[in-house]
Amino acid sequence: MSLSSSAHKLKRLATTASEESAVAPPITLSERSSIGLALLRILVGYLWFQQLFWKLPPTFAGLYGYVVRESQHAILPGYGALLQHTFLAGCPSLSSPVGCTAFVPLAACVWTAELLVAISLLFGLFTRFGALLATILAVQLYVGLAYTEWIWTYGMLVLLALVLVAVPAGRRLGIDLWLAPRLQAAGQHHRLARIASWLV
Amino acid sequence: MHTLRRGLLAGVLASLVLAMFDFVTDGAPGNGFPSVLRWFGITVADPTISRLSGLLLLIVLGGLVGLIFGAIQRGKPIATGRALLTGLALGVLWWLLFEVVLANITNHASSPFSLSFGRFLSSFPLAVLFGVLIGAISIQWQGQHGSRQPS
Repeated sequence: MSLSSSAHKLKRLATTASEESAVAPPITLSERSSIGLALLRILVGYLWFQQLFWKLPPTFAGLYGYVVRESQHAILPGYGALLQHTFLAGCPSLSSPVGCTAFVPLAACVWTAELLVAISLLFGLFTRFGALLATILAVQLYVGLAYTEWIWTYGMLVLLALVLVAVPAGRRLGIDLWLAPRLQAAGQHHRLARIASWLV
Repeated sequence: MHTLRRGLLAGVLASLVLAMFDFVTDGAPGNGFPSVLRWFGITVADPTISRLSGLLLLIVLGGLVGLIFGAIQRGKPIATGRALLTGLALGVLWWLLFEVVLANITNHASSPFSLSFGRFLSSFPLAVLFGVLIGAISIQWQGQHGSRQPS
């Protein structure tokens, strides 16, 4: 082996090492981390589940006070007016939803969305869909109520939901464990299954 | 034998998840545990002992349901879908037996099957979750140790 060829080899090795360090190594979650995230998912699901009970149908009365507060303290210009012309349209009083024309159907939509989030996260069923829905609901709460309480209260709710969008937390201790491989296999032939596989 | 032990541990862990919920509820932690005692008509005057014995009974009942889950497998490896479905069915049975029939009998309700929407909503999803967790935990262990253990 000549001196020049060994120097060339050394240079090539150094180049390969620097190329490797430039690319971030892939991260694989351990089983323990996955189980930990699954427990986090279940607890966040329970958080949403508990919030169903103070605004139960058929009146959803518990929600009314919060919608009124959102209409008064929203951080986005125009959001308060939007609430006043939808949820609070025709409401004669700020203390009771009696007489409001659109409050009950719209509150039913909110309650159903929260129920879907709770079921999705508790059972790990289409978890990323549930987490996306939770993100939207939490952002809405942030926009409406952030300045009426500790500002991070709803901010943390948004961040928690975003974590569950990013990580497939339903594939451990959840029904997505069964669903994910089937949807991925079916997704090679059907577009709908491929889209559904993004949501588990 | 391995499936029985796996079922037992899965049941205990699933009941611990249910118990965990009682510690993230508004008000004093563990307030829900005495209701487990009341399913069997037991009331304990001391609140601390009542909570602790309720928690213990919940874990024992979870272990028993887990044993039933293990016995259903008859020592054979179980597919993911079947494990989740069996767990779900056991969760529904848990709900029907404890949360509906026994709770109504001990509360002297007009019918053993009487149920309000609020009670259904607060009890059914959690009972089903308990069952699904037994199936999911069991599958998790089967995946990790299945190759090493004879069925």
